[in-house]
Amino acid sequence: MSRKGGSWLLAGVPALFLVTFFALPNALLLTVSFLKSDAQFLTDEVTLDNYAFVLSRRLYLEAIVRTFAIGIAVGVLDVLIAYPLAYFLVRTRSRWKGLLIALALAPLLASVVVRTYGWYVILNRFGVANDVMLALGLISDRIALMPSSGAITVGLAHALLPYAVLTLMGGLDSIHPNLERAAMSLGAGRLRTFLAVTLPLSMPGVIGGFLLCFSIAISAYATPAILGGPATQVLATAIYGFMTQLLDWSVGAALAVILVMSSFALLYLASRLGTRQVAL
Amino acid sequence: MSGAVRRGEPASRAWIALRVVVVAVYAFMLGPILITAAVSFNASNRSLFPPRGFSLQWWGRALSWEWIDPLLFSLKLGLAAGACSTLLALPLAFALVRHDFRGRTALLALTLGPLLLPALVTGAGLLQLFQYVGLRDSIGLPALLCGHVVICLPFAVRTTAISLQSLPPNLEHAAASLGAPPWRVQAHVILPLIKNGIVAGAVFAFIHSFTDVNLSLFLARPGETPINVKILGFLEFGFAPTLAAVSVLTIAIPLALVIALQRATGLGDFLYAERRRD
Repeated sequence: MSRKGGSWLLAGVPALFLVTFFALPNALLLTVSFLKSDAQFLTDEVTLDNYAFVLSRRLYLEAIVRTFAIGIAVGVLDVLIAYPLAYFLVRTRSRWKGLLIALALAPLLASVVVRTYGWYVILNRFGVANDVMLALGLISDRIALMPSSGAITVGLAHALLPYAVLTLMGGLDSIHPNLERAAMSLGAGRLRTFLAVTLPLSMPGVIGGFLLCFSIAISAYATPAILGGPATQVLATAIYGFMTQLLDWSVGAALAVILVMSSFALLYLASRLGTRQVAL
Repeated sequence: MSGAVRRGEPASRAWIALRVVVVAVYAFMLGPILITAAVSFNASNRSLFPPRGFSLQWWGRALSWEWIDPLLFSLKLGLAAGACSTLLALPLAFALVRHDFRGRTALLALTLGPLLLPALVTGAGLLQLFQYVGLRDSIGLPALLCGHVVICLPFAVRTTAISLQSLPPNLEHAAASLGAPPWRVQAHVILPLIKNGIVAGAVFAFIHSFTDVNLSLFLARPGETPINVKILGFLEFGFAPTLAAVSVLTIAIPLALVIALQRATGLGDFLYAERRRD
């Protein structure tokens, strides 16, 4: 059904709202990244200095590389951890299936701050991980597991796992169990069936899950702020620092543009790979 | 399939191994959250696990006005953001699903944009916008509300659009052919049928707002700070068990909401709909 009249009458107010409070602030940020600024006060001098500054300082180059390395690690970890769970949830005939699915998605109700707090308790110098390793004799003295990129990676992988489970379930659910049965009845073992039938067919879910976790991970603030430190800055913490503490909004904006452009490049790459859209 | 066959699992060694892995994954998923809850009962003033002794003193502090205030603020913000994004999502979903017009693709991109662009970046942009147009005083609740509606809108549009898409178009024709004027068709036929989608959208919007940190970081101000931003700020000074108790408290509100509405509306269907096989 297609109607022509009144579409913009209908969509006008929400569209105007999104233009004002979504498109405009992002366009402003893009503009500011090309302007010379004196603290929070902008001049109208167009410059590439903000980008040159960021890309010539080792601290920020490292933050950019670290951000993407953590994002990739989180994406890979989450797909690996979520895959068996998603497969189980899709195939199980347990009467608890509904409850088990709810349990797997329940962490989404807790904010990332809450989900990361537990990792502090586990990873700090006097935390559970050190206790266990001491008891097992793996270490002779307490070691610092955080702040570190590893701690940020584990914390983010934990926080974003439900997204991977959800995306993978969608991918796995579209594979009819008869396909696996057919492969097995033709003599393929479980492993061969999985590698030749299930895994290739679930690739859209795998790529979708990876991309979703990756793109949330690279812009996450709370987890790197809690489990990282000054030596393990990522783009999100650097942007926040420039915007609220150093008050250099132009450089902060340039970092934000770098973050957005690189994540868009990745989404473009993914669409070229022919994967289905993750969103909507 | 014969009814006599037990609705069991595919019993094999591989399946049993899978179950073991699944138990481990659940432990990984829920462990840290349960540890946070346990830590809040420490008698010690450090966040130790297993807790040393048992005490409710941190819960007493968590339930003081210092923490109840930001909790109520988040609740207020979430309810307002949920309501506003639902109201804006309804006409937007109608236009996107039922109409074909010039600029539809652009409108779709605008609607889904907040899902693709990091909320952190939108937050930073909003801070600059409010500052540069001289609305510095609006930073706090007004700016937070605008930002939250932006990031919650895609969720509300999505569930409403899913409900609208699943309606047979003939229903409207039938109602119209029986003489109902267009507004009555919308109000008495369509709205009740997509009610579940609208409610689910509102709930997702509320939860998204309530748990947001990335956008709120930039737009909060003293006295108008969402609970999670406040917890995050305090974590920089140390991990007191009070914060663990407050953290647990923040899970309770969305959890209660979801449980209350799950039965009424089948919320889960919008998150993960099982495919029907014939």
